[in-house]
Amino acid sequence: MTGFMNKAAFYDLDGTLLSCNLVTMYAYYARNDRSPVKSVYQFMKVLLSVPVLFGLDLYSRSAFNVFSFRAYRGMHRDRLIGLADDLFEVTLKPSIFPKAQALIDTTRALGYRNVLVTGTLDFTIRPIALHFGIDEVICNRLEFRNHIATGKVLPPLLAENEKAVAIRDYAAQENIDLRESCAFSDSNSDVPMLSSVGYPVATNPSRRLRRVALQNNWPILELREESPKFPPFLRTAKVL
Amino acid sequence: MKSRTTWHWNAVRGEYENGQPHVHPGTGEISAIDAFSNRSVLLLGGTGFVGKVLLAMILDRFPEIKHLVVQTRRKKNVTGEQRFYSEVLKSPPLRPVVERAGGERVLREKIEVVEGDLDQPLCGISAENLEHLKGRVDVVVNLAGVVDFDPPVNESVEPNVHGTQHLIDLVRALGAKLVHVSTAYVAGQKNGRISEDTPILGYFPRRTDGTTERFEVAEELKWYEQFVAETRASRGSDQRPVRERLREGGMNRAEHWGWTNTYTYTKSMGEQLIAATSGLDYAIVRPAIVESSLEFPFPGWNEGFTTSAPLVLMGGEGVKGWPVRKDGPLEIIPVDIVAEGILIVTAAVLCGKHKHVYHLASADQNPIMLPRLVAFLGMNSRYKHKHKKTGNRLANLWKAYVETEVISVQSLQARRARLHRGLDVIHAVLTLGKTVLGPNRVGPYLKSLRDTRRQIRAQEITLDKFLPFMFHNSFIFETSNIRETARTLTNEDLKRIRWNPEIIDWADYWVNIHTKGIEKWIRPMFTTTRKTAG
Repeated sequence: MTGFMNKAAFYDLDGTLLSCNLVTMYAYYARNDRSPVKSVYQFMKVLLSVPVLFGLDLYSRSAFNVFSFRAYRGMHRDRLIGLADDLFEVTLKPSIFPKAQALIDTTRALGYRNVLVTGTLDFTIRPIALHFGIDEVICNRLEFRNHIATGKVLPPLLAENEKAVAIRDYAAQENIDLRESCAFSDSNSDVPMLSSVGYPVATNPSRRLRRVALQNNWPILELREESPKFPPFLRTAKVL
Repeated sequence: MKSRTTWHWNAVRGEYENGQPHVHPGTGEISAIDAFSNRSVLLLGGTGFVGKVLLAMILDRFPEIKHLVVQTRRKKNVTGEQRFYSEVLKSPPLRPVVERAGGERVLREKIEVVEGDLDQPLCGISAENLEHLKGRVDVVVNLAGVVDFDPPVNESVEPNVHGTQHLIDLVRALGAKLVHVSTAYVAGQKNGRISEDTPILGYFPRRTDGTTERFEVAEELKWYEQFVAETRASRGSDQRPVRERLREGGMNRAEHWGWTNTYTYTKSMGEQLIAATSGLDYAIVRPAIVESSLEFPFPGWNEGFTTSAPLVLMGGEGVKGWPVRKDGPLEIIPVDIVAEGILIVTAAVLCGKHKHVYHLASADQNPIMLPRLVAFLGMNSRYKHKHKKTGNRLANLWKAYVETEVISVQSLQARRARLHRGLDVIHAVLTLGKTVLGPNRVGPYLKSLRDTRRQIRAQEITLDKFLPFMFHNSFIFETSNIRETARTLTNEDLKRIRWNPEIIDWADYWVNIHTKGIEKWIRPMFTTTRKTAG
């Protein structure tokens, strides 16, 4: 492909390309502590916290997020980075939607720069991005003090409006035309991001996002199906 | 994959910081761009691990370089020039650079290949070539040497001591200056901070102990000639192979003076020859353990077994107990940072504003502590054995779910003794089984026991070789000279070459760059050499 790219495909991750479940991710770190005894102890703690997490998720998504990052408190960054590949193999790779790779290959073939815009953490993203062949990542980072996670996220916390701000900044820096760009997300919270691009696609939409998509005439795509119907602007590529 | 963020990792504090890292502006006392565009460099040892990266970096960062002479050794029927164009320029670190530079044709105009060999007088450069190069070479950069830790003593003395004498003669014949690459471990069995100011001449590591002994290279060479002659003469009366005795003799001599092995002992002698030569304008560069590249020519490039590769591979095989210092760093430094350091020193030498000794190491600015590395080895073993489809399932589970730990040498010895006792018992049971059940049914088990024992023995030998660096001694090599010299470059230079080990994010480097680089570049060679050796 020739050098100059002036359009990008922005992807949300969780629920859009795969379904990573926070609880299974914690359970992973707990199961893989330094010795089997520690692992069992940590795993019991996770089991006990599951009902709390469920309750929080029902109550408020952002409270759930804050709580979920707090679970990293006290963990050494070396361990988070050192276990990332295994975490990907065990919990994330099996949950990738069947046609996610085909979609990413399609946008690349059409000359879009593939950018992942996600609230997931940097060390978790790395193997995913390499697996999909993503060009660039905009994601959250944990705060550390002397290599130990404090349980907070570095500002700005990437979610909702912040994602729209991030892609606008990115477009300005990289000379990207947002009107020619596309974005994929499953969640109602990403409406600001979807509305900032010329070609928003509601991907595996939640009920609320489906309603918004229908109102705005946005195409709807189901990557969970074996033969999804790609929106017209993606059909010219011969990847499928 | 790039990651867009306004935060950068401060490896020393272990925190993310907002904004870009602060970059010191250069004072502009020396200009590397000027130095390289108007002078010419003779590179010796450009075929080695550091040599190839250095060569790639010169061509990539200083395309305006006027004239580069590369000395290459002939190998059997392949001439030095053929070797250079078919092996060196086609090697993984150079291929992308050659392409970017516009292909081999463009480079042929800049690069001149001369055949030579450190083992011969004047480095084996022919009289004709010497006449041609005289007055046209401003600086000789020498990376040649033998990095085997404990070879038969003659195989170390010839290249590292006599070879250095040949090098000095060549440099003087050419009327050039010298940048000589040695090793930081010439410090020997020492602890704590190692200064760059310790006088080179007459140095031996035990000197500070209040001994009255004096170290002189000429005396050492006399001992060496005599020792080699005696060992060879006693071929008939002593049963042990000559090579083995030469190996042992070198190690004993090195340890007598306080060096860790024959390699550092002979390298120090080479340095002392240089320091003793009057009128020679020189800089000695002493890198620590040189490891996979951080960025250039691409992350994770590695070659050979003289790095920590054997340890990483052993860790991947599931070795659990690691005898390391809890409070000590491992003095490793990525090869591309070393190459940048050598270029900075070379530029300083060309401008006449250099110091005599430069350590190129990381721990002074950004240490990576040994227990952290041990933990990385454990996590790597976890990953590999969890997804391993072959081998004993129980063993794989053990290697996946029990991680490495830091142990003392005493407990290492105890573990080894226990392990060997256990294996002895198994062996006895199997031998008994063989007489009762017949060799057909027990034979395969005996064979796999033999294989396991051989593997364990090999691991023990490797680990012992590294003990001086991980357990017996704990060094921090001071790097103030290279930092000072790097600050005297121009800002334009600093966009191309920098001294910045403080930016290394060790977790990312070890897990995602170094370990993967070794798996990719070293593991395949390791398995083939083992097969051919066995």
